Amino acid sequence: MTTRVQLHNVTFAYRPDQPVLKDICLSVEPATFLAVVGPNGAGKTTLIDLLAGLLEPQEGIVAIDGREIHSYSRRHLAEKVALVRQEHVPVFGFSVAETVLMARIAHVGQWGFERPVDRRTVADALDVTDTAQFASRPLADLSGGERQRVFIARALAQDTPIILLDEPTSFLDLRHQVAIYDLLKSVQREKARTVIAITHDINLAAQYCDQVLLLQPWRAASGDQSHSAPGAGAHYRVGSTHQVFTKSEIESVFGIRVFSASVGSENMFLPLGEMAKDAGRRGPPQPTDLA
Amino acid sequence: MHPFLSPKTLLTRVAAAILLLVLVMVACSFVGTEPISLKAALAGPALSSASPNPDYEILLRVRVPRILLAAIVGAALAGAGVVFQAILRNPLADPYILGVSSGAGLGAMLAVICSVNWTLWGRSPVAVFAFFGALGTVWLVWTIGRITGKFHVTGLLLAGVVVNACFSAVIMFLTSITRSQDVYATVFWLMGNLAEEEAFVLWASGGCVVAGIVALLFLGAQLNVISFGPTDARSMGIHVERVQFVALAISAFITAVAVSLSGLIGFVGLIVPHAVRLVLGPDHRQLLPLSCVAGAIFLIVADTVARWIVAPAQLPVGVITAMAGGPFFLILLIRYNRKVYWLS
Amino acid sequence: MRRWCVLLALFVAWNLLGYALFRPQRIDADVRAPNASHPMRIVSMAPNLTEILYALGLDERVAAVTGDSDYPPEAATKPRVGSFWLPNLEGIIAKRPDLVLSLDIPQQRSLAARLRRMGYDCLVLSIWTVDDLFGAIETIGRATGQHIKANALASGIREDLVRLGRTRAGRDRPRVLWVVQREPLRVAGRNTFINELIELAGGENAIGPTLHKYPPVGAEQIIGANVQVIIEPAMMGGDPAEQRRRALAHWGRLASVPAVADGRIHVVEADAVSRLSPRLAEGIQLIAGCLWPAEGGE
Repeated sequence: MTTRVQLHNVTFAYRPDQPVLKDICLSVEPATFLAVVGPNGAGKTTLIDLLAGLLEPQEGIVAIDGREIHSYSRRHLAEKVALVRQEHVPVFGFSVAETVLMARIAHVGQWGFERPVDRRTVADALDVTDTAQFASRPLADLSGGERQRVFIARALAQDTPIILLDEPTSFLDLRHQVAIYDLLKSVQREKARTVIAITHDINLAAQYCDQVLLLQPWRAASGDQSHSAPGAGAHYRVGSTHQVFTKSEIESVFGIRVFSASVGSENMFLPLGEMAKDAGRRGPPQPTDLA
Repeated sequence: MHPFLSPKTLLTRVAAAILLLVLVMVACSFVGTEPISLKAALAGPALSSASPNPDYEILLRVRVPRILLAAIVGAALAGAGVVFQAILRNPLADPYILGVSSGAGLGAMLAVICSVNWTLWGRSPVAVFAFFGALGTVWLVWTIGRITGKFHVTGLLLAGVVVNACFSAVIMFLTSITRSQDVYATVFWLMGNLAEEEAFVLWASGGCVVAGIVALLFLGAQLNVISFGPTDARSMGIHVERVQFVALAISAFITAVAVSLSGLIGFVGLIVPHAVRLVLGPDHRQLLPLSCVAGAIFLIVADTVARWIVAPAQLPVGVITAMAGGPFFLILLIRYNRKVYWLS
Repeated sequence: MRRWCVLLALFVAWNLLGYALFRPQRIDADVRAPNASHPMRIVSMAPNLTEILYALGLDERVAAVTGDSDYPPEAATKPRVGSFWLPNLEGIIAKRPDLVLSLDIPQQRSLAARLRRMGYDCLVLSIWTVDDLFGAIETIGRATGQHIKANALASGIREDLVRLGRTRAGRDRPRVLWVVQREPLRVAGRNTFINELIELAGGENAIGPTLHKYPPVGAEQIIGANVQVIIEPAMMGGDPAEQRRRALAHWGRLASVPAVADGRIHVVEADAVSRLSPRLAEGIQLIAGCLWPAEGGE
């Protein structure tokens, strides 16, 4: 069974006449690592919510495995899609291990008692996210970054073919940022999972992701010239990292000047403002600059 | 590896708690304004053909029914308190927060004003009206709260506060214009008291409360997940609105039963869940049954103290629950300081 | 879904079983004639009922009284079973009564029902008016086999009332304000037994008919009511003279009221007028003493 994620002409608006997403067409093959990037307010979180089945599009269809997402029961959907979100405010003091264990509820019986396979899954998830040493500690005792890793562990414990992450590394230090991306990449490769992550770090995205979805706020884009690259609509662009991450594209979408250079197989982009020490430097010319 | 809750641990703890409950019930049935002895009571219902055996009468017709009543009401309030705190994600929630208190009061007031005289199974009309008033008001609050959105618990809380305020004003108005002298007795009844009840009433209400608690046990694991918010819970496969509705409906029902039996006894529904949570952690599969048993024990002891401390007079049991519950809770808080993490 | 149905079925079965086992009985609030004709262990649940028992000469047969039964003084020696608003069920049962007298007030209704269900004889008496008092004396007399004495007691009280009434015939009735509570101000209205006492003493309630029995009133109504005498019942445990001084000070603001201008503010000994009891005539005499002080209340 494939776990293809598809969006067919999806339009979503929180308020009528103000669509956040307009006519999005997207097809994510199984075992792909997709990065979703774009300025604030472009609709990245809305897109993730649609993919998780939390929102219903006004027009168009969100499909998983060829079936419309809302035709799945809540529980079946939870066996297919796991979500890691930004804000986690625990009210009652569950421990880290208990928190991660909750992801298994979609798989356990009605009385909600865990089986040995559930505990092994949880233990593995804690190990790979480097949170096993916190297992007995209450969640609220942890720092923001440590909590973020715990929630990623929870999504992993949910053991789903599709994992959606909303800025998973925003609070993490450099070491853990890299560790999480390594982890996600290995999960994608070794367990054939689809990983879709919203991120502000385009350089790490370039190094780890196969595909990129670049979103612009719909208001800004209407009236813009349409792009010739495949998979482009009025306010979004999807393609490989080379196709989407070009200097001109990034500069126009984000409204900044970047210094770009080639790392190896991928490029890097460093935003430089007027007060930066190396302001004004653009880096060696790139072949894609001429596009 | 962190020890998880296993069925065996849970059953052991629940069994130990129930054993403690039985011991407390037996011990408290020998405390009261009159000294009685077990031997004398066992002599049977009648001393001679004309006069009854007072020890037997007091023990079995007065004390035991009252202790059973305290157990039923205590279990209902504590269980409902756990659920309300979980669903509303608010440690300050108690079973009366969504309009039960003012609804029961209004129902009782209407019964008195309309001078209703019939009874239902030996229950006075005040109790029956209070029951329906409580349930009706929760339904009203739920409907109003849903206007703010399906999962928005703040909307529910606000609706509860508004309805409580409005109904309290109506109650004050009715109190000021009513002709009936019974209204003062009703106000006193509403303050919370435990009186001896008929056997059938205890049987039926005990059945209601136990059935409600068992039904809530099915939801224990899902209540854990809901503590993390509706979005997280949905993404993990929980049907949030259905669980909210079912849990709140059952909790409101058992609270209404408790209120119709005993008026508004405060503190039990708020403090007992917190006390159990402090000692044993927030896992609802265990918190729910143990809070119910702890609530039963707490109210039995409080009622026993209320009956005995200024004998032969009796204090309203609500006074004891408040005066005892507060300091007891503070002591627990200090002792388990390191485990206090809901004030993150 | 299935387990909810099972739970529901079990619940219904439980209730049916309970109904079959326990068959709840209706609460019967009517007064019933008790079985025993000469009860020897009587428990009285209110002070005026105690007074009636002693007035019928039944002091030997009283097993226990409530804590507030303070008249006659001998009643204070009897064992106590709570107070009339907080009765002690256990205490009552421990005395093994064969007759319990209780009042028809909300605080005692469930007590009466409970005692009846346990098989005790419990007489519920409704004493709200002077006529009720005579009825109660008669009922208690019948229940205890003392109907002769009861009739004599009732006749005696009636004669006293007639005698008191005769001396007042044809006089103007002073307008009386009976102050139950000073802050906020509440008075006894027309629909109370106090009103009856006032009228029997030859006075008239200054307040017209009201919705409440003990209505709160404002200064405006008092000024418009042309009050000639103000009477306050003495507070328990207080000094009546001290209370009168404070009352005078309080009422000083309303100097336009005739009662205040004339200094006719009285504090009366509360017991005889706060309950309907065999000391009815005494109470009325006390009130008359306030209305016609010059004649010494005769």
